[in-house]
Amino acid sequence: MSGTTVGPRWNRHLAVLGIVSLLTAPPVAGQTAREILEEVDQLLRGESSQGLVTMEIVTAHWARELEMEVWSLGIDHSLVRVRSPAREAGTSTLKAGQEVWNYLPRVDRTIKVPPAMMMGSWMGSHFTNDDLVKESSIVDDYDFEIMFEGDRRGVEVWEFELIPKPEAPVVWGKVEYQVRKSDLMPTWVLYYDESGELMRTMTFSEYRSMGGRLVPARMDVVPSDKPEERTSLIYHELAFDIGLDESFFSLRNLRSSR
Amino acid sequence: MRVLVLLRLAARGVGRNARRSMLTAAAMVLGLALLIFSRALSDGGHEQWIDSAVRMGSGHVAIQAPGYLETGKLEHRLDGEQVGVAVEAIESLAPELGVLTWAPRLSVNGLASSAASALPVRIEGVDPGREATFSDFESKLQEGRYLQAGDGLHAFVGAELARRLDLEVGNRFVLTAQSASGDVEGQLVRVAGIFRTAVMELDEGLVHMPIETARSWLGTEGAATTVAVLVEPSVRTDGVAAQLAGRLGSDTGVRVLGWRESSPDLDSAVRIDDYGDYIFHIILFAIIALAILNAVLISVLGRRREFGILRAMGLTGFETGVVVFIEGLLLTAASGVVGMVLGFAFTWGFFRDGLDFSGLMDSEMSFSGSVIDPVIVPFFQLQQVLVSVYFILIIGSLASLYPALRASKLDPAEAMKFEQ
Amino acid sequence: MASDGMWWRVAWRNLWRNSHRTWITASGLAVGYFASIVLIGLTDGMSAELVENGTRLMVGQVQVHSGEYLPERNVHHTIGGYDGTDVDALLARIEESADVEHAAPRLFGGGLLSSGELTQAALLLGVDPERESRVSTLLSTLTDGRLPVPGAFEVLVGSEMARQLEVSVGDELVIVAPAADGSMGNDLYTVAGVFYTGTPGIDGNYAILPVVDLQYLMAMNPGRIHEIVTTVTRSRDTPAIASALGQSLSQGNLQLDVKPWTELRPELAEALALMDSMNLLIVIVIFAMAIFGVANTMLIGTFERRREFAVIRALGTTRRGVSRTVVYEGIILGLISLLIGALVTWPIMVWWHNTPPDLSQWFEGFEWSGAQWRPILRVEYSADGPIVTALALLLTTVFAAVYPAWKATRVPPADALADR
Repeated sequence: MSGTTVGPRWNRHLAVLGIVSLLTAPPVAGQTAREILEEVDQLLRGESSQGLVTMEIVTAHWARELEMEVWSLGIDHSLVRVRSPAREAGTSTLKAGQEVWNYLPRVDRTIKVPPAMMMGSWMGSHFTNDDLVKESSIVDDYDFEIMFEGDRRGVEVWEFELIPKPEAPVVWGKVEYQVRKSDLMPTWVLYYDESGELMRTMTFSEYRSMGGRLVPARMDVVPSDKPEERTSLIYHELAFDIGLDESFFSLRNLRSSR
Repeated sequence: MRVLVLLRLAARGVGRNARRSMLTAAAMVLGLALLIFSRALSDGGHEQWIDSAVRMGSGHVAIQAPGYLETGKLEHRLDGEQVGVAVEAIESLAPELGVLTWAPRLSVNGLASSAASALPVRIEGVDPGREATFSDFESKLQEGRYLQAGDGLHAFVGAELARRLDLEVGNRFVLTAQSASGDVEGQLVRVAGIFRTAVMELDEGLVHMPIETARSWLGTEGAATTVAVLVEPSVRTDGVAAQLAGRLGSDTGVRVLGWRESSPDLDSAVRIDDYGDYIFHIILFAIIALAILNAVLISVLGRRREFGILRAMGLTGFETGVVVFIEGLLLTAASGVVGMVLGFAFTWGFFRDGLDFSGLMDSEMSFSGSVIDPVIVPFFQLQQVLVSVYFILIIGSLASLYPALRASKLDPAEAMKFEQ
Repeated sequence: MASDGMWWRVAWRNLWRNSHRTWITASGLAVGYFASIVLIGLTDGMSAELVENGTRLMVGQVQVHSGEYLPERNVHHTIGGYDGTDVDALLARIEESADVEHAAPRLFGGGLLSSGELTQAALLLGVDPERESRVSTLLSTLTDGRLPVPGAFEVLVGSEMARQLEVSVGDELVIVAPAADGSMGNDLYTVAGVFYTGTPGIDGNYAILPVVDLQYLMAMNPGRIHEIVTTVTRSRDTPAIASALGQSLSQGNLQLDVKPWTELRPELAEALALMDSMNLLIVIVIFAMAIFGVANTMLIGTFERRREFAVIRALGTTRRGVSRTVVYEGIILGLISLLIGALVTWPIMVWWHNTPPDLSQWFEGFEWSGAQWRPILRVEYSADGPIVTALALLLTTVFAAVYPAWKATRVPPADALADR
């Protein structure tokens, strides 16, 4: 039950379920950091997607691989269903608004994750249930600044510094975020606490075109206090604007195995 | 009957054998002094437990909405109007009832998350100005400061919680709880101060924040879950609770609870300890009674000759008995006064600032939500002292009765025989 | 110079010459002895009650873990690592120790309990029902139902947990727990029983199931356990027994950590130390009063005999001779009284110890520093208390007799005879 961390919502969202949606903003010259991110944020809302993803989890005590199908609608709704391993096939998670539900095919029950367990690990990964639910948006919670613009190992990048607004309900002291200038692809996100200590690192790689868009097909999350551990998400298939509406993200659909 | 004569004889009997009288009286004096001392000490201990527990808990008297005690949920809260009525009732109480202060509290269970971790906590919205004098967290301060009037996004957290969340003074963290509307809401706060009370539940799970911030976060304008009242000394609790209940009536939809109802654990603890004290005092009384009885009896045995002379002088057996009884009463009365003075003087003189047990403990400890201070300050209750004195007088009188009976039945001829 | 035996005879005869005085003094001594022993027994009983309740319910007296397990209590750190160990062999090795009474294995986990719409986070405790019943009272606190049968997917829940989940015996319950291989273990269980310990932290948070079922749920092999709990023969010597057990277990290839309850529950050990010190104060007060009563009675009695001593002196007995008689009288008197005291005290103590009065009609149990206190007034006895008490009372008797006798013999016989 290791409670890991909470992140600013889009990063989490991006990390777990709707990663690709973020990365669809076309590069526009001359925009400020805030304008870029606001645009991204707008694009996110109302967008539906479907994908096939592998989640690799490595901890000090075990390692495992889950193959999952993911549906999402904007930032409020998502449904994840495990396809393999066989022992866990059919296990599903539904996020609707601020609530998280799990479906357990073995006992044929749905269980609502109680508030006390929101900080518990989601499917044994380095994400918490709470990572799935946090609601407010990055634009509301952070002030942005470009802290670096230029060449990093031969690639033109922007590096943003995100400082939470004084009253924003955000636990991080600072978030750093690197984006490639050429295609606006993110390369890494670093999360710090208030004393400036690095808490977790998220890196992106394997940029590919899926569902008609360029996306980083792989993302790795490493908690800084346990560098030998990680959770990786690897997308195999992705489709956008598939016409899902809110009714798809229902408890009934959570239970229906397909 | 020649009462005056008997009285004079008795007085002379006490005075003539000063050493014997002193020894007999000494048993009573020491017994009473010990009683007063131990009673003051154990009452002082209880008063301290209660005080500590209610200051950090819900006061000697708590005004709450019905159902809050059982569920601890925000839905059972006092609205702004009820809080106003409750406060008015408290303020209108007569000063001689012993109300020290009051404080509103808005409490919810929630989650505290930092960059490092997340833990379940009890969140209490408090009025910083009132709370400072109420719960005395100032004295438990480890770092930073307590909340102050005008604070907004400030929080006062337990040391163990701060450690687990890896928080220092000035750091931000997020409180999450279910608001009045049922939604889960987050609230950012910053650590203003860190406390350590030795009560584990508080040190690892209590967060104080300004009540106004809590109210707007939880969407409960003007509300409180408890209006806590502090009373001194704690024996006045029932009086204050009854007065408040009378003033608030049943139509305001509030409930007035004494600490015995709101902290049943503490109540049992005090009652059981009281019970232990009763047993201890019964044993002590028994020993004192026996010591007095023995002292008086032995002296009667040694004074057969003297009684024989009294009889020879024309006193009846009954009158001889009366003389002995009066002697006993005189001694008892004198011992009662001296014992009381000695008991006070001893307790006050040596242990005014408390009897220190701290050498026996490595650190502070707690039970039933109360911090046990290793220094016990004696607490005198007039009633308890009077009870002790009363008991000594009864015992003294009863102990004189039997010797008097024996003296009255003495065969003068036998008694006048030369020493055996 | 007369022989020693003669002085003993004189002393013996003196005692019975004034049998009234002798019996009065003896009764004082006997009652003083009785009171002191009962009080010491009561305070020891209270401490023992706390230790036993603080340890018997859950903690046990000695616990064995993997060296890595404490303090984080990481689920993966089972005894013998990921492969586990031969649990039966290890239990047998531990029980070989002469000081260990019983040993039982435990496995811990965390998870969710869910029934219908309701879900609660819970601590899962895997036990061997048969062995567990010997080391702790946990399984004897069932208020409803019966113990779970291993392999039948049965579970026990605390009363508060049952209330929160709205389940009772026979109902179905889903348990979800992160397993050792990272998967999410989940299965359907039947509530076999509901327990009530009186400790809110246990009643509201724990679910107990047979260790084999929990191992299956958490995808662990049957050799994996976190803890072995033992009870020892002499709870006072637990630290020494634990370190001896640690020594003997360190010879194997397992990395084991053996801890006594004093280290597992330091706050309980401290609470006891404080209580012992307060009890000591009470015992001292009672003891002082008992000694004073005895001394006083002896003093008065001896003073009353001044005339007698004067006569003996006048007849040519040396002062040493008089003193010697008085000392012997004191010794004989003391021994007789203490014998009577012991004859009265011990049957009562044994009876009391075996059938302690249950006060639950008047008092509820309560929690004290995490230890559940049953409202039972029990007594404990040890060997040293009665012996020390007896010696102290005997010495008091002798000194209280010799001092006035010695003084009396210095008075010229003529003056004493004239009662001047």
